[in-house]
Amino acid sequence: MKLLLLGMNHRTAPLELRERLAVADPGPPLQKLVSCDEIDEAVLLSTCNRVEVIALTRSPDAARLRLRSFFRRELAGDAAELTTRALDEALYEYRDGEAMRHVMRVAAALDSMVVGEPQILGQIKDAYRAAVECGASGPILDRLYQRAFATAKRVRTDTRIAEGPLSVARVAVALARQIFEDMTGKHALLIGAGEMAELALGALRDAGLASLAIANRSAERAAQLAVAYGATAHGLDELPRLLAESDVVLTSIGGDRPILRVDTVEPALRARRGRPIFVIDIGVPRNADPAIDRLDDVYRYDIDALGAVASDNAEERRREQARAEAIVAEEQQRFEGWFAALRAVPTIRDLRGRVEVIRARETSRALSRLALDPERREAVELLTRSLVNKILHAPLARLRREAEREEGMAYLELARLLFGLDDADWDAAGAEAVDAPDGPPDPGLDEP
Amino acid sequence: MVVAIHQLTAAIYLVACLASGIGLALGNARAARFAVGVLAAGALLHTLALSLLHTAKPPPPLTDLASAASFMSWAGTIAYLALLRRAKVSGLAVLVAPMAFLGVFLAALHLPQAAPATTPGSGSVPHAHVLLASAGFALLGLAGLSGALFLAEHRRLKRHRALPGSGLPSLESLDRAGAVALATGFPLLTLGVITGAMWVHAAHGGALTGSPHEVGALVAWAVYGLLVLQRFAAHQGARRCAVSALAGFALLSAVVVGMGVL
Repeated sequence: MKLLLLGMNHRTAPLELRERLAVADPGPPLQKLVSCDEIDEAVLLSTCNRVEVIALTRSPDAARLRLRSFFRRELAGDAAELTTRALDEALYEYRDGEAMRHVMRVAAALDSMVVGEPQILGQIKDAYRAAVECGASGPILDRLYQRAFATAKRVRTDTRIAEGPLSVARVAVALARQIFEDMTGKHALLIGAGEMAELALGALRDAGLASLAIANRSAERAAQLAVAYGATAHGLDELPRLLAESDVVLTSIGGDRPILRVDTVEPALRARRGRPIFVIDIGVPRNADPAIDRLDDVYRYDIDALGAVASDNAEERRREQARAEAIVAEEQQRFEGWFAALRAVPTIRDLRGRVEVIRARETSRALSRLALDPERREAVELLTRSLVNKILHAPLARLRREAEREEGMAYLELARLLFGLDDADWDAAGAEAVDAPDGPPDPGLDEP
Repeated sequence: MVVAIHQLTAAIYLVACLASGIGLALGNARAARFAVGVLAAGALLHTLALSLLHTAKPPPPLTDLASAASFMSWAGTIAYLALLRRAKVSGLAVLVAPMAFLGVFLAALHLPQAAPATTPGSGSVPHAHVLLASAGFALLGLAGLSGALFLAEHRRLKRHRALPGSGLPSLESLDRAGAVALATGFPLLTLGVITGAMWVHAAHGGALTGSPHEVGALVAWAVYGLLVLQRFAAHQGARRCAVSALAGFALLSAVVVGMGVL
């Protein structure tokens, strides 16, 4: 079994490409993916900064081709303008240990645009939940993700990486202070009421704004958020008026078409008589058309631009990053050991099966000669099972341990050889062997 | 004595230049605040120098370039320090301090100068003209510097190269500083132009002689009048106001320097 991870993130792919591949509901494409022979388990993570698929496979080369085709056909929708080369350049690929490490680093927000940001863990949990619900995740990926969540928790509690002001929303507030002298008299507008919007809302509220308005397609959801954050709720039809009144506009709303365009922002600017608007666009796909940059008094920062600013200011957090990386390495090693030990599973299963067949046959033969009542028969059954388990315990534990090391494969091969686990004609040979106790005694056993 | 104090003031302004430069380069707000404190100390000493100059016996007419430069840098520095009460522009010291230093350094090099002959019968009008026009020039210079820093910051923000925590003033602060400087500088310039016309009238019997000095000053005044209208009546956008303030100050400087050369 091999782990294979293919994906793109804010470092390898521009926002335009990530937008194209973003998936709102990972269930249907995942189901399609795991229905392929070469993919046993899979999880798809799609956030504003990354689109990744991790798969468990028995044929990594075929799975690699399958995943590339999945990105191109299923996620990008065979877009003509997206060349194979552009996709290849944007995609990164990790296998086995590297893939495990990557999943843990992403969960611990070490691979995030803003290192240590809290949103990513929730997004990964959602992606994992979606994979479980559609049956795409199995025991191996379940274990990997549980380990990744535990790693993220350890990183947060054992390091100071999550401290400090640098979430994307807080960077946005810091930027707003470069535009506005004082935030206390300013009015903010939040377009959208999703999870990302809610996280950003906290940072905006802490900045001490004069008022906060929330505009959303679903007025009900906007009203819920408004109550929680002391804001006012509005429908999107009120956007022109709200824009004219707002100094800071934060957008995080779904939709294929930008909601803030030149034709919507320009009238608002005229009404504001030259007072600037700071647009923070954390939506993917983007909610603000980049063309509004040409308007003098509009300062638009999308998720990439915010990340670029944040990375310039994350030195303090980077110091803690080294400690966090050490935790990830430790957890990766632990999981890698468990994963490698899975190599011993077929041998252990075969060996146990073989011994169980012999035990059952011999017990049955012996019991047929002894006229025992059911209680005693049960006692004999228990005795033989117990004997087998006790005899096998030490060698099987050793096999498991050795399988965690690459060199330990020799032990597995030796076990298969000694017990003839790969013999195709075992049933016949086994039957003879089972009969052996009735034949001449093994000379080796009788020697002192 | 006046020259020595000017030299000392120039040295203090130079320290303010360095401190504000270091504050900007390192994003150190404490260095920026220290620069403002040093600038204020320099301004106090500068005030003393100018007071001594005004109380000299016989009092000099202050119409020479060195005195005017000293007065302009003093007025600019004082105006900047006063602006700090209205807008958070301590980062602007990075431009104000060098200008103050240059003005005082120039004055220290050339003081005391033989004053140009004043027109008999003009009284204190030449003195008032120099003081008002110099103060106007200083304040409009401050508006121009605010505009320059605004444009640099605007460009950086538009290109997503912002530096949160750098201690640089916000765009809003710079815009407000520019507006206040323009709103106070333009009336002073207007009074400077009026006293200039009175001086010319006393000397030549008419308010206009058509000299390059007069034409240049009137053109600059008219341009500034337009800028004031655009900013306060037409509510021009902040970036355009910054461009206008910078361009206006460039024109005014060209006129002043041109007049000096001519």
